[in-house]
Amino acid sequence: MRNRLKVLRAERDWTQGDLAERLQISRQSVNAIETGKYDPSLPLAFKIADLFGLAIEQIFRRD
Amino acid sequence: MAGSLKNPAYRRYLLRTIPVAIGYIAAVLLASWLIPDHAPATPLTIAIALVPGLVVLGWVWAMARLLIELDDEYLRLLEVRKILVATGVTLAVTSIWGILELYTDVPRLPVFFVFPLWCLGLFVGQLVNRLTLGDGGCR
Repeated sequence: MRNRLKVLRAERDWTQGDLAERLQISRQSVNAIETGKYDPSLPLAFKIADLFGLAIEQIFRRD
Repeated sequence: MAGSLKNPAYRRYLLRTIPVAIGYIAAVLLASWLIPDHAPATPLTIAIALVPGLVVLGWVWAMARLLIELDDEYLRLLEVRKILVATGVTLAVTSIWGILELYTDVPRLPVFFVFPLWCLGLFVGQLVNRLTLGDGGCR
């Protein structure tokens, strides 16, 4: 699965640490999701979508 | 099992496992000192020998609590992967050695070594995590 997390984060001038803090997850998790090493669970994907005010499919896309 | 300690679940795990590790080593040394080699299985020798075994249960409990208390799903995945690798390593080594024992005169592997072998497997699991995900565990 591909995602736009890095772009969305950069648009807001957030570091991975900033995003991790807002999502209440580890910076390692943010990095793993951004680099496509880990696909988040549905609840976490909803949390990410809510934070950016977007729908899940606007952030995560099928390969 | 854990790396450094930003996550409170890892801190609690460490606080639980340090005394357990010290207790395990102390209990093994004490049992070895109190019970002579090839001692008969009397209620007293069994009671003394059971102490290190019960301490191992404390370790297993601490690991179970870590998985329950880790609220970060990715870090939990890393820990579960380590445990799966450790279990695979242990099953592979003990099964193969068991068959060797059955058909040849290789030295007997005492069951005592199963748990230390599994702990060694956790390090292999950490290595697998690093090689495949670039990430060993909590920071």
